[in-house]
Formats: sequence, structure tokens, C-alpha cells
Amino acid sequence: MADDFERRLERLFAEAPELPDCQAFAQGIERRLNRGWQTRRWLIGAGGVVGGLIGASQLVMSNLFERVESAEQSARALGAGLADVAPSTEMISALSGGFGIWISVGLAVLLMGFALSRVIEEI
Amino acid sequence: MPGKPSSFASLHDVELCSYAAAGEGRAFGELARRHGSAVRYLLRRMGAQAAEADDVAQDAFLTAFQRIAEFRGEGTFAAWVKRIAARQYLRRLQRERRLTELAAESAEDEEIVGGGDADHRIDLDEAMKVLSKVERLCVSLCFGAGLSHSEAAEALNLPLGTVKSHVKRGLEKLRTRLAPADGAVLEGRRGNG
Repeated sequence: MADDFERRLERLFAEAPELPDCQAFAQGIERRLNRGWQTRRWLIGAGGVVGGLIGASQLVMSNLFERVESAEQSARALGAGLADVAPSTEMISALSGGFGIWISVGLAVLLMGFALSRVIEEI
Repeated sequence: MPGKPSSFASLHDVELCSYAAAGEGRAFGELARRHGSAVRYLLRRMGAQAAEADDVAQDAFLTAFQRIAEFRGEGTFAAWVKRIAARQYLRRLQRERRLTELAAESAEDEEIVGGGDADHRIDLDEAMKVLSKVERLCVSLCFGAGLSHSEAAEALNLPLGTVKSHVKRGLEKLRTRLAPADGAVLEGRRGNG
């Protein structure tokens, strides 16, 4: 059980006077916190750019557009076949054809818009 | 959570912790401004030099920010950060192999202080100087950082009985040094801080 002196000692430890540079000390901590956030943002941003570049180069290198065209033809043929079996599959054929590509492009543009607005907000 | 206030100075520690947990660095800055001195004083009383105490205190606050979600508001924020800071300082001592030296030299530097000079007004920091280094650590951990004897023993990697005797001897020295008949020294210095 703590006696009176021990309680006083605890109080003395707790009631340390304010140091004259306490403001600078706190600002130093805030600076280090901000630096951490900025580093993280730059790393994420750089990762995104590198990933985007790799993705774009892969798309170009793999003759994507030719493949899309041939896939589109295959999809049309498949769609025609499916239409004979089930007339209610217009949506599937529409999505798997050129329309699907345009939806993907639209979504990508939308995503880019969100990303850009977020970046601008952060800056 | 409500919108960001223009000034965090009027908020309670618990509210500031909520803002800090949401990533608000300025709220945490206010906590650091309020409690930074107490943490730095604790580290100095544990035996750290001023610059080292500031380094460890900064690291402790950054650790506290990262772990702010763990702070449930059961004790005070200051006590929580002090515990983090004290443990980080001990880890630093361990890393630099200074803790073993401190424990080893404890038997050698006994009885630095002579008779009590309670007639002179001395504050806690002056009084702590008469303790051996390991006694300072033990007393600071138990009375400044709020660790129990067994927690302090674990943190210092010393037997519980050894820590208890260091605390006991440290308290005896401080009692002699600090406690006049009417307790005026203890109360008087605080007002001057």
C-alpha cells in the first residue's frame, strides 16, 4: 500500500513543468507525421505510375487491338449461335461484342476521373 | 465524428485521440504539445541525456500515433505514452548494452548521498541525482511510468526481489532528501515549475 510520500512522489512525477520548447517539440512530431504520409503517398503514386506503364506497354506489345477484333468476331459468331438456342441472350452478345469494350473504356475513364480528383484533393 | 474543429486546444485528450485515430496529425500534435514535457522529464529522470530523451520521446509519440487505436481511454493518455517511452528507452539501453552495465554497477555506487539536507530546497530532479542509475530507473519506472514492480522487473530483465530492493533504497534516499517535516519542499518546487 502506497504511503503519503509515495503518493506525493507519483504526483511530482506526473506534474512535470512545461519545457520552454514544448511547442517546437510538438511541431517536430507533426512534421515527422506529415513526412510519413507524404512518403507513403509518393510511394503509392509511383507504384501506380509504374504499374500503369507496365500495363500499357503489355497491352501495346500483345497486339491487343487485333486480338480484340478477332475476339469480337468470335463473340459475334457465338452470339449468333446462342441466339438460335435462346433468343433472350441479346445482352450477352452485346456485352461480349464491341459494346462491352466501350463499357470497359467508359468505366476506366470514370475511374481515372475519380483517381485524378483524389490526387488533386490530396495536393 | 463531427467536422474538424478550427482549434484543437480546447478539446479533451480523449477527443483528440479520436481525431488522431482518424489520421488528424494536428490533433496528435496538440497531444504532443500537452504531454511532451512530462514524457521528456520522465526520460531525463530515468537517466537519459536531454537530447537522447527528446529523441526517445519523439519516437514514443510516433509509436503512440501508430498504435492510437489501441488506446481505450482506460488510463490517461499521458500515462500511456510514458509507458511506451519508458519501454523504448529501456530497449535502446538494451540494444546498446548499457542496461547490463547499469545493473552490474548498481552494487558499486551505493551510498552516494550522505545525510539528508532537507533544509535546502531541492526539486525532484536534483534529488534523483543522488540515486544510483539503476535505482533511478526502478523508481522512475514504478512512480513515473506507472509500472508495477513485476512489470519493471520484466522490462529491466532483473529479478523481482532486486527491483523491489532498488525501489526501496531509492525511496529511502528520496525520502531523506525530499521530505521535510511539513512537506514544504515537495509542494514549494512544483509551484515554481
